[in-house]
Amino acid sequence: MEFNIETPELDEKTLRRAQVRFVTKLKAPLKVPNTSIAIPSNLTRFGLSSVVNNLLQSVNPEWKSEPFDFLINGELVRMSLEQFLLAKGISAEKVLEIEYIKAVVPQKEEEPCLHDDWVSAVDGSHPGFILAGSYDSLGRVWKAAGSCTHILEGHSGAVSSIRFLKSDGMKNVTVATSSKDQTLRLWKFDAEDLINHPKKINAFKILRGHKASVQSIAAHASGDMICSGSWDCTINLWRTNESDAEGDQVSTKKRKVNNQVDESQFEGEAVSTLVGHTQCISSVVWPQHETIYSASWDHSVRRWDVETGKDVSDIFCGKVLNCIDVGGEGSALIAAGGSDPILRIWDPRKPGTSAPVFQFSSHNSWISACKWHDNSWFHLISASYDGKVMLWDLRTAWPLAVIDSHKDKVLCADWWRSDCVISGGVDSKLCISSGLSIQ
Amino acid sequence: MRAVKTVSVEVTSPKKKKNNNNNDKKKKKQNQTEKKDNQNLLKKMTKSANSVQTENDASLKIQELEQQQQNTTQELSATDSDSDSDYQVFSEDEVSEDYESLRESEDGESESSGDEVHGSDDDVNNDNDGHEDQSDGSESHQGVEESDSSEDEVAPRNTIGDVPLEWYKDEKHIGYDISGKKITKKERQDKLASFLASVDDSKNWRKIYDEYNDEEVELTKDETKIIRRLLKGKAPHADFDPYADYVDWFKYEDSLHPLSNAPEPKRRFIPSKWESKKVLRYVRAIRKGLIKFDEPKEEEPRFYLMWGDDSSTAEKANRLSYIPAPKSKLPGHEESYNPSLEYIPTQEELNSYQLMYDEDRPKFIPKRFTSFRSIPSYENAVKESFERCMDLYLCPRVRKKRINIDPETLKPKLPSRKDLKPYPATCYLEYKGHKGAVMSISTEASGQWIASGSTDGTVRIWEVESGRCLRVWEIGEPVHCVAWNPSSELPVLAASAGQDVVLLNTGFGNEEEQKRVGELLQVETHTASDDSDNMASIVSWLQDDKLGGIRLRHFKTVTSVDWHRRGDYLSTVMPSGESRAIVMHQLSKKLSHRIPFKLHGLPVSSVFHPTRSIFFVSTKKTIRVYDLLKQKLIKKLETGLREVSSIAIHPAGDNVIVGSREGKLCWFDMDLSSKPYRILKCHPKDITNVAFHRSYPLFASCSDDGTAYVFHGMVYSDLNQNPLIVPLEILHGHTSSNGRGVMDCKFHPRQPWLFTAGADSTIKLFCH
Repeated sequence: MEFNIETPELDEKTLRRAQVRFVTKLKAPLKVPNTSIAIPSNLTRFGLSSVVNNLLQSVNPEWKSEPFDFLINGELVRMSLEQFLLAKGISAEKVLEIEYIKAVVPQKEEEPCLHDDWVSAVDGSHPGFILAGSYDSLGRVWKAAGSCTHILEGHSGAVSSIRFLKSDGMKNVTVATSSKDQTLRLWKFDAEDLINHPKKINAFKILRGHKASVQSIAAHASGDMICSGSWDCTINLWRTNESDAEGDQVSTKKRKVNNQVDESQFEGEAVSTLVGHTQCISSVVWPQHETIYSASWDHSVRRWDVETGKDVSDIFCGKVLNCIDVGGEGSALIAAGGSDPILRIWDPRKPGTSAPVFQFSSHNSWISACKWHDNSWFHLISASYDGKVMLWDLRTAWPLAVIDSHKDKVLCADWWRSDCVISGGVDSKLCISSGLSIQ
Repeated sequence: MRAVKTVSVEVTSPKKKKNNNNNDKKKKKQNQTEKKDNQNLLKKMTKSANSVQTENDASLKIQELEQQQQNTTQELSATDSDSDSDYQVFSEDEVSEDYESLRESEDGESESSGDEVHGSDDDVNNDNDGHEDQSDGSESHQGVEESDSSEDEVAPRNTIGDVPLEWYKDEKHIGYDISGKKITKKERQDKLASFLASVDDSKNWRKIYDEYNDEEVELTKDETKIIRRLLKGKAPHADFDPYADYVDWFKYEDSLHPLSNAPEPKRRFIPSKWESKKVLRYVRAIRKGLIKFDEPKEEEPRFYLMWGDDSSTAEKANRLSYIPAPKSKLPGHEESYNPSLEYIPTQEELNSYQLMYDEDRPKFIPKRFTSFRSIPSYENAVKESFERCMDLYLCPRVRKKRINIDPETLKPKLPSRKDLKPYPATCYLEYKGHKGAVMSISTEASGQWIASGSTDGTVRIWEVESGRCLRVWEIGEPVHCVAWNPSSELPVLAASAGQDVVLLNTGFGNEEEQKRVGELLQVETHTASDDSDNMASIVSWLQDDKLGGIRLRHFKTVTSVDWHRRGDYLSTVMPSGESRAIVMHQLSKKLSHRIPFKLHGLPVSSVFHPTRSIFFVSTKKTIRVYDLLKQKLIKKLETGLREVSSIAIHPAGDNVIVGSREGKLCWFDMDLSSKPYRILKCHPKDITNVAFHRSYPLFASCSDDGTAYVFHGMVYSDLNQNPLIVPLEILHGHTSSNGRGVMDCKFHPRQPWLFTAGADSTIKLFCH
């Protein structure tokens, strides 16, 4: 097929060409003809993208150009084609198969949700709303950018973590929060009711048992159980159901006698405690039915078996860890960041080694949060004290995107609706970057 | 003797005549040469005189004469000044042509023998005449022919002896005869008359005026002959044959009898005992194998390095070795008379030499000369060679043993920094909020919070992980020191501000703890008065409702606060408090005690031992260690520092580090000695604080120069192994304000992190 590419006519002698074929897993309107073409080998990502757009336009004249990202042998092209081939030692003689995917770039920076104090926790696991916890000891529910629907009031210390537990659609939403006042609280609200003024909600259950600030909570997939990591070096498991054990009722009775403030407030006690860490547990995740992962300031990542309450394996990294998340390929990769600018990713399935399989070190300061994308094997975000949220793809060592909307430290970050990145920081803002197209 | 002398005078006289023409100044010099001439003449004359005698005799005589002659020369030199006048007198005498001719022939004798022959012919005739004349009665020439016995007897007419004749110059007499009568001077003819007379007199050339006796002497023919022969260098007497045949008087080869008739001694026939002994010894040595014949002898090297360094050979010698003189520097290109242009300094360089110090200035400035002719004499030649001589002569030479050691190997073997990780290195977090210099920080036992006190009068509590300021207390006065209670059940903070120590309830902990703390921090006003009056004047316990704590009012400014490890006792230091400078407070009973020890010097700070009931008090110069149970002094550590500023105790309790105002850090191993184990001089300015890590082998010092140093300080449980101290990192970051840099440093209790409080009102966290 004869095809003219609009590339700057450089010196013909120095211009080397490579035989490539563009392939994709994208759906029909994005498919290009499966023929090999010769393109200048000094093309970068932008050049390749324009080539693909031209090809698409030749098929469909109404095509609007769109940025693409390119994969060669499963690695994203981040330099000129020539350099890439040289660096990877790929022969330019053969027909090169280049897979193209939609580029993952935040399209839009939505208006930030302003808080009264530092935003210390966010959760975007429910597509209908965003949960945010703040240092003013309040939790907030945001319907969208700028519209706060509920305020969770009751903690006496900064909210350190907030988690969505379960809901029936938009009704009966259960949310758990942990705070530096050593307690966890469970909240219930209906997200559907639309009110102009945010509605103040009280916790229906207070979970006491930690002897120090609670740093992090994680919920079981069913939402019936939560676990929490604390400064007292323990992980406590709690039940979240509303009306159950007798001990709870006794305690509520006592409470009623004492002050009779809130009739619907129960108190809960820990179901079990996982002991093993020697220092503050900064982050916990509960990805599977009976496995809890925890990251701690004692430089270790531990995997706990919920049934037995023992730690199954641990990974030592040498640095204080602040955040952990499990996801990626087979939901098995552990990403963790801490008191240094390196985001490390371990593969626990790899036998005999505890060395991280990936290390991303574009940040300048402590990493405060990291989160895998729910559906993608490759994408994760990290937030750092240097004020940046970075979007990573495992297939390249460079960040796909840097969200630089915060003025100061970013304390928390999460995905929302699988195409937005939400992050909260010391500048009291909850920033939402939307328009990420991740398949 | 006398005779010799006269001869000398006579012989020299012809020469003197020549001198007369010269000016007087030269005379003295010539005197010396003339003496030599005299000597030669004398020898020759005496030879001639003794010609008849045997050689032995002659040599004897010569010796004798030489002695005499020495005397005469001495005399001559003694009378140098006089002899001048002598000659003057001489010169006044008439000079005959004959004498002149004689002298000429004397000069020219070496040139031509013809003259000589001619002259001698003439003389032969005159000789005879003179001889006859002389026999008539001239007593004057006795000295000439000693062998002549007849003339020997003739005594000189004059008896004045060996005195300068000058003395009699103005007298009418020349001396005294043997009977003591004056000998009057003869009338002198005037010169013209004498000249005429001499012209007439054909014998005049042979006449010599004898001044001593004041008479004219006429030489005989024999005498002139002898003089001539002497002048030619021959034997004086004509009959003497210097080349006579050799007669071997002692020849005895063919003689019948040997010189000695002694029989052969017995020993000639007996084998030597000593030789046989020697042979025996050799035989034994050979049998024992001490002497080997097969071995080739070590040949001495036929050639040797002539210009080799003799120092090596000198070293071989075991005795006091010869140290060769240092070689002087050889001239290089620049010392050439016509060096290349690049050696010639330019005018700027010359000017710059002028500005240099004398010792830096080059000793030699190269110059160009177009030819050898134009080279002046080297001005420093004498000076330099003199100095060289002085060096060779006076400078002691010592052979210096140069040790060939790589300086790298002398460095102590320290482990690499990489092996000593983790240690704080990079600053990731800053705690901002204070308005004034942060004077002191303190970490909570778990490491979740830190407290800081600042000159802006506030005490703040920060969350370590996020840098969030959680609480602020306005104390009102600049806070000097904060100390978090080490007990985790008692979240109480002590802060010293001015004369007060404030105990604050931090508000952490659960309700139970809060309740307990609330009760603890309640003071009934009456309890204070229960103390002895003495103590009440020092400290008073007051309730501070505004801050929600207790205010301990001291009578002097408190600079340092330290909690006991259990969190019940609290010691405060008032440097200006003299004998009551250190006070211990008990929180549970709300009591204060003075420490029962006498303080020597100004106290700086006091620290509790981390595990035992031991109390450290640092004064400006020394650290005193007290046992609180036995109430006695255990140890006194001599710092040797000018002014101690801070002290920290190793968590094991046996090692102490002390920081000083002069920037020195002392490590004391109390088991080892009371002297510092190591002194580290690292900070250019005052050390403000030092700190040990609770679990990692780390310690740090911070200084007014705006830096903090982190060291690895490993203490081994093995008592034989000394602590290992390795400097690890210099932490920069704080800017200094008003000359103050980093005011305090504290390690995170569990992580290898260091908090530094700066005068720039920030607190920084350095992480590994």
